[in-house]
Amino acid sequence: MNSFVSRFASTGHDVELRKAREAFGDEDESLEMWGSQAGFGPLSKGVPSFSVPAVPDPSAFLRLHTDDHADPSCRIKIKHGTTTLAFRFRGGVIVAVDSRATAGSYIASGTVKKVIEINPYLLGTMAGGAADCQYWETYLGIQCRLHELRNRERISVSAASKYLSNLVYSYKGMGLSMGTMICGWDKTGPAVFYVDSDGTRLKGDVFSVGSGSTFAYGVLDQGYHWDLTDEEAQELGRRSIYAAGHRDAYSGNTINLYHVKEDGWKFIGNYDVSEMHYEGPAGVGYGYEIRTAGKSSANPPPEPESQTAQT
Amino acid sequence: MSRSYDRALTVFSPDGHLFQVEYALEAVRKGTCAVGVRGQDVVVLGVEKKSVLQLQDPRTVRKVAMLDDHVCLAFAGLTADGRVLIDKARIECQSHRLTVEDPVTIEYITRHIATIQQKYTQSGGVRPFGISTLIVGFDPHDVKPRLYQTEPSGIYSEWKANAIGRSSKTVREFLEKNHKDGMSRDDAIKLTVKSLLEVVQTGAKNIEISVMESYGKITSLDLSQIEAIVADIEREKEAEAERKRSRLAATAAGQAAMMQRTGESSGQ
Amino acid sequence: MDISFALTGKGYVIVAADTTAAHSIIKVKLDEDKIKTLSPHLLMAYTGEPGDTVQFAEYIERNIRLYQIRNIYALRPPSAASWIRRSLADSLRSRKPYSVNLLLGGYDTSTHTPHLYWIDYLGTLASVPFAAHGYGSYFALSLLDRYHDPEASLEEGLATLRRCIDEVSKRLIVSPGKYKVKVVDKDGVRELDF
Repeated sequence: MNSFVSRFASTGHDVELRKAREAFGDEDESLEMWGSQAGFGPLSKGVPSFSVPAVPDPSAFLRLHTDDHADPSCRIKIKHGTTTLAFRFRGGVIVAVDSRATAGSYIASGTVKKVIEINPYLLGTMAGGAADCQYWETYLGIQCRLHELRNRERISVSAASKYLSNLVYSYKGMGLSMGTMICGWDKTGPAVFYVDSDGTRLKGDVFSVGSGSTFAYGVLDQGYHWDLTDEEAQELGRRSIYAAGHRDAYSGNTINLYHVKEDGWKFIGNYDVSEMHYEGPAGVGYGYEIRTAGKSSANPPPEPESQTAQT
Repeated sequence: MSRSYDRALTVFSPDGHLFQVEYALEAVRKGTCAVGVRGQDVVVLGVEKKSVLQLQDPRTVRKVAMLDDHVCLAFAGLTADGRVLIDKARIECQSHRLTVEDPVTIEYITRHIATIQQKYTQSGGVRPFGISTLIVGFDPHDVKPRLYQTEPSGIYSEWKANAIGRSSKTVREFLEKNHKDGMSRDDAIKLTVKSLLEVVQTGAKNIEISVMESYGKITSLDLSQIEAIVADIEREKEAEAERKRSRLAATAAGQAAMMQRTGESSGQ
Repeated sequence: MDISFALTGKGYVIVAADTTAAHSIIKVKLDEDKIKTLSPHLLMAYTGEPGDTVQFAEYIERNIRLYQIRNIYALRPPSAASWIRRSLADSLRSRKPYSVNLLLGGYDTSTHTPHLYWIDYLGTLASVPFAAHGYGSYFALSLLDRYHDPEASLEEGLATLRRCIDEVSKRLIVSPGKYKVKVVDKDGVRELDF
């Protein structure tokens, strides 16, 4: 049991393993050669090829230079503030995101692609550090392809998400910032996994991540049920992101909508939040004022018209 | 001449042989026989059990090992080498579940074992594993039975039915003659026992049979069950022999009668 | 915010844990199972740092399973508890310790005794008749001191558990909604509708 313990204890994954490799010489290399760890050979080295900043405490260093709340003049302004959502239903998985990137109070971009197309069957969403998500989800795509080549079958959504989760867990406490949903369709049907940089990994039906997630949940949870039609589901995704784009200052600009079905994902469209507010996708605006135009809650007593009618 | 090519390190001889690997295959050929047979939705492993010594506990000698809920392995060759390889495979089965949540596929674990075996033909200071293995099981979410073989060289391959170990050539030829696609559970078991009886003279008490019927459903037949099957086969053989004998006797009688007639006619 | 309870009774151990996965003020998931079945007669409820909990629990799960495959028999509860405690204690002295608190409930089929162990992230191991982790412990421990009966039938045990859960729902501000309840006895592990 000892060998298993030392090989797979995930405490300080990369650090421990690097130490172990030094101690045992080529022992670790030989493990890798055996194609261990479910064919994910490179991970057995704890991804040590990716270098960590040469400072004693990377996360403290990062905090010092990135906390724009405490110090608006900080050197690095990390892009965050987002609304992303994904949900599973009878007809597959709907993935919807906004496209705004903010750095502090500044809108850095309004055309960010927050859905990462890992491969034709897998989508990842982006919340938290844009670079972290982009880099590691692309890296995940490479590993998924290698899995496919090695095992002659597509990687399951569960395995792909677990790979990412183990990976970010090995960097826990070093300043990675990611909140992502890995979505796809495999032998088990449609699947959504929530993975974040704490190392949390959850399987579920409905998830929303980002500063606007509470607003998105408000619409999403109320409209969600398993037997939605494809059109209803797409509308629900779009409308939920609109709601967040409208209420959350750090979310907005446009909505990107994807639908994952049995034969892979499909890009449904890009929708402008302001346009959705006034016109909606079919001429009926989502905005409260537009939706309720002409309606009034005033409840005056009925006109005393009975007298005139009598004369 | 060849002496310098078969020492500790596995190196090529000038004509492209790895003698150490070939000697390992020789060790396999000296090991007890193991047979694997695939049926329609069942896969059967049969092994020849060496007779234990009078005072030995037979439970401590096992040649069929569970690797995981749905994978079974039988080997032929050096038992001690087998134990080491089985342990490595068991760890990998759990490690695979830990990293991708799914259990291993049969091909995956076979490839893993073969890769370990290959590594021991290409590293310094080690010797190849003196075992061949038969690996059977069902893939997760699948109903097709699987049967794989690995060799000391690191080769692995999939089979409908195969044998390894002592007299494996004879048994394989027997299987080639008698194997049919889509056999039922009973037919597959019977074929396994029959083929083992080709090399096991002592009968049921030296045969061990494991049957896997679906994902995670494995049963070992006990002695009485195997004895019944052996008796059944014996009866069939007896009947066959009887038929042959009577046919032979009939032809002999016919011939004799003919002879007599010709004799009589010539006598006349 | 995680809450878990466990209590022993006549020939069984009940283990219960809430099923919410929270992130700041949001419940991200409402039906997360935080109790793992380690072997046919062993349950482990885990709470603590997100990420660490599942990593550690799965690591333990696979090692216990490996032991069973290697030795045919599974570890008995006292041995499993010692090994798990040791794993946590070793982890505590490493560069990045697991922050995980555990309740380990098992039934020893050879001595016909239920066992319950309280283990915390510092590697403390205590064999106890009832246990709790999280804010729930502030309410439940006194309650269990008063109402726990080592010879209670399963129904009585569940009634006592119900008292704990009701008390937490009544007095704790951020009380979780749902609990998963599992029981282990001579027949193995099963989940109960609660």
